[in-house]
Amino acid sequence: MEPEPQPSERREESSLAEGGVTGPVPVDILTADASHYRSESLWTKSIRKFARDPMGIAALVIVSVFFAIACGVWAGWIGQNWSSLQADGYTGMSREHWFGTNINGQDIYARTIQGTKTAFEVGLIVAVLSTVIGGILGAVAGYFDRTIVDEVIMWLYGCLDAIPFYLFVAAVAFALRDQPYAMHVAMIATFWSSTCRIVRGEVIKIKSLEYVQAAKALGVGSMTIIFRHVIPNTFHILLVQGTIAFVSAIKSEVILTYLGLGVKHGVSWGTMLSESTFEVSAGIFNNFIAASSFLFLLVIAFNLFADALQDALDPKKVTAS
Amino acid sequence: METLQFAFRKILYAIPLLFGVTLISFLLMVYFGPDLTYSLIGKNPTAEQIAEVRTQLGYDQPFFIRYGMFLKEMVTFDFGNSLSTGERVSSILLRTVPVSFAVALPGFVLSELLALALALIAANHRGGFVDKGIMVFAVVGMSISFLIVVIVFQIAFCSIYGLNLFPVQGWVVSNVADYFHYVAVPTMVIVFVGLGYNTRFFRAVIVEELNRDYVRTARAYGVSRFRILSAHILKNAMIPISTRVIISLPFVVIAGNLVIERYFNIPGVGLITYNAITTGDLPIVKAVVTSTAILYVIALVFTDIVYRMIDPRVALNS
Amino acid sequence: MSDANPSAGEVGADRSGTDPVLRVEDLVVEFSTEKGRIRAVDGISFSVMPGEPVGIVGESGCGKTVTALSVLKLIPSPPGRIARGRVILDGRDVVPLGEREMRRLRGNVASMIFQEPMTALNPVFTIGSQMTEVLRIHRRMSRREAREHSIEMLHTVNIESPAKRFTQYPHELSGGMRQRVMIAMALSCDPKLLLADEPSTALDVTVQAQVMEEIRRLQEERRMSMILITHDLGVIAETCRRVIVMYCGKIVEVSDTRGLFAHPRHPYTSGLLASIPKVREKKIGRLPTIKGMVPDLADLPKGCRFADRCPKATAQCREKEPELVEVSPGQQVACFYPD
Ligand SMILES: Nc1ncnc2c1ncn2[C@@H]1O[C@H](COP(=O)(O)OP(=O)(O)OP(=O)(O)O)[C@@H](O)[C@H]1O
Ligand code: SF4
Ligand SMILES: [Mg+2]
Repeated sequence: MEPEPQPSERREESSLAEGGVTGPVPVDILTADASHYRSESLWTKSIRKFARDPMGIAALVIVSVFFAIACGVWAGWIGQNWSSLQADGYTGMSREHWFGTNINGQDIYARTIQGTKTAFEVGLIVAVLSTVIGGILGAVAGYFDRTIVDEVIMWLYGCLDAIPFYLFVAAVAFALRDQPYAMHVAMIATFWSSTCRIVRGEVIKIKSLEYVQAAKALGVGSMTIIFRHVIPNTFHILLVQGTIAFVSAIKSEVILTYLGLGVKHGVSWGTMLSESTFEVSAGIFNNFIAASSFLFLLVIAFNLFADALQDALDPKKVTAS
Repeated sequence: METLQFAFRKILYAIPLLFGVTLISFLLMVYFGPDLTYSLIGKNPTAEQIAEVRTQLGYDQPFFIRYGMFLKEMVTFDFGNSLSTGERVSSILLRTVPVSFAVALPGFVLSELLALALALIAANHRGGFVDKGIMVFAVVGMSISFLIVVIVFQIAFCSIYGLNLFPVQGWVVSNVADYFHYVAVPTMVIVFVGLGYNTRFFRAVIVEELNRDYVRTARAYGVSRFRILSAHILKNAMIPISTRVIISLPFVVIAGNLVIERYFNIPGVGLITYNAITTGDLPIVKAVVTSTAILYVIALVFTDIVYRMIDPRVALNS
Repeated sequence: MSDANPSAGEVGADRSGTDPVLRVEDLVVEFSTEKGRIRAVDGISFSVMPGEPVGIVGESGCGKTVTALSVLKLIPSPPGRIARGRVILDGRDVVPLGEREMRRLRGNVASMIFQEPMTALNPVFTIGSQMTEVLRIHRRMSRREAREHSIEMLHTVNIESPAKRFTQYPHELSGGMRQRVMIAMALSCDPKLLLADEPSTALDVTVQAQVMEEIRRLQEERRMSMILITHDLGVIAETCRRVIVMYCGKIVEVSDTRGLFAHPRHPYTSGLLASIPKVREKKIGRLPTIKGMVPDLADLPKGCRFADRCPKATAQCREKEPELVEVSPGQQVACFYPD
């Protein structure tokens, strides 16, 4: 229903074009325009570019370590005794309890490790589902640009964007009444919209490309074109959007849990930080330091990873070495 | 006159959006929301009492009638009474909105201005040491959880473990000095939390503008770097920047800031919303969610108008 | 300066005794790219006399724009930089000058017109405010004086109802009109040198001729020196007194226009000329391609850069690089076997 370029669309585009552009690049030099869609060689080029980025590699290593921890928890190797009451409350750091214990005498180290798993659970579920939904709806909207389908999809994300996130979670929580997945559902329902918007913009460009037109001329069905030819060419966007959604999800989990809308059963960095809000004024920082340093490390690593990914995947970016 | 017509058209475009946000709110919180019958009546109700309350709540009505009732509540600003205190929701809002506004506004304004300044400096030195420094700072800022910032700032400024300069919590404001006393730490928190994101966004916009041809033209005609940044680029960059600022305003005003108000125990919309969420006080949550969303849509219309004032290319008839 | 050279309009006039407006000596411009450091312009030397229109031709990417940008030190940096050489503009080497001093020269002693009239003007400022800004910077005019002068300039470039155009935004003007605005802006401070980088390429074919005609007329009237960059040899023939042919960052031939068309000496120039009629027929303002590929600047062959495409190439050509030498009065060629 918005005929002119939406301001918010511009926002997404600029943030995607953001990063280490080192100097003005006169348009007449950018000859890469013709090969806009991503071919196999673009991917290898991107991987090579990524491999040369020390920040990106370091970030990836840190993320992998966290992921390994989460896998260890899933496999049942580490962090399993997070809920048993093992000692007195608030014992300091010791050999048995590396990070000390909390008010109930539960081992903070085990809880932090367990929290890593929770973070990945929330992050992965939200990132994957919101990106898939956003990608598909964005591709459909872009492909059927300026038709009723497009209008409806744009209307939908317009409406969802209008409701403040935390309040939306509250609203969903009311509807789902104490479902443990209310938080996930709410995040997915809000996070897909930015992916959808960006993919839609990209698909509008892709669909005018020769090979899509050729497929159309040959009578290939719309859905086949969308899934076989269009969506694969937006994978680079989906990848970046996925990492961004992951970060948003684990950050939101903490806030939502603090507000009583997030994790209710089990332990997460959010529950630990919520606990710690009652402790820091008494000078007890174990919960706080353990959860906040893990959270910060994972989030900054993911942010740097997302940046490096974006740099490496951007075909337009001319980097000076 | 032209602007009026333009505004009118934009409002027309906004109607489907208004319909959408109210429908979503209605579905989530009323239609599929909790049954309030038993919150409204005393112990051991008779069957008649129950039926009466249900009729009063409209539960016996079809979907569209109920949606209509919901819309009427929104339009008349009459959201009923709080389930926990019995106070009228509209008067609760009138009391708390100004507090939230007072708490959030200084931080909001400072954060935007500071971010804009940092972004201009970074963009001006792009690729250089200063730029890298600012951008690293921005990523670090972005990576620290809101909750952690609140906790750390409170320890650092309001507790015996830190400077202990400001009140730990509360909002007892009767004069300007009180105001500064209570608003200082929340402001610092808001500035810090928004700074990373805003700086990155603004820098991206400015760098994008820096690469445009008109910048080269201005340089080729002897315009100074400072003027290129502060006039030529800034005016172009204001289009996306003002959009973002206006759009985030309703979230500041109505949604308040749940985390800050809860943590500092400040009686704004955020705190009453938090309490309403935890106690299941539906009328309040419903009122806050829906009015924020409606304000957002109004802000969208407003950005379109501002957009048009800054950007001459947005033609009337498009 | 116009009275310094009364015979400026005549072709082949004796120019000894006057100093050139621009003298470029051994200019090297480097860019750092993903493939390493490349030399977009590699040791070129030429000069432009007062009132003289000089053309630069060459295939895309051969360094024409970079050459023009170097004169005003507008090379985007990073990734580019002037690595060597001197650029003497109006008696002063600009290479060591700082931004502040350069700003005084830009738009004042030398002005540049760009290829893209659609994007070269700032979309959110009126034509008037962009034009007056230049005058207020260099001429320190009051708002009012600047306004009057700008409107007069718009009139000079044959824009109808200039006072109205003055208050309009770029998007309200057609491409041709915008390019006229650029010309008016470029000439408003009476520069000694005009750098016109493909001023008509991006315009409709019908408008192209009009805009070129305008530039030609103003250059003659004002006895202004000009460097005209173009792909269209026909335009060069009609406008320029001398021609510089560039290939791969080097000058391969410099000649007065008549001599060049009558008797091209470099095989590359011959190739370009051979294809003129075709250009005219198809109306594609781009140079027709000569067989073969332009070598990659990051991976240049040893010896003559044109060797791979040259019908006359020998073993010597692939060994050593030919120097630019005078082969007849007013004609310099960089080739071992000039025609
Ligand atoms: N900003 C830049 N970054 C990297 N390389 C550049 C940049 N600008 C120019 N170059 C290099 O300089 C070479 C010459 O560019 P230039 O723009 O001068 O070509 P041109 O002769 O004007 O071509 P065209 O006819 O297409 O305008 C290009 O091949 C390119 O490799
Ligand atoms: S030097 Fe040799 S290769 Fe180069 S242009 Fe002359 S003849 Fe051709
Ligand atoms: Mg060029």
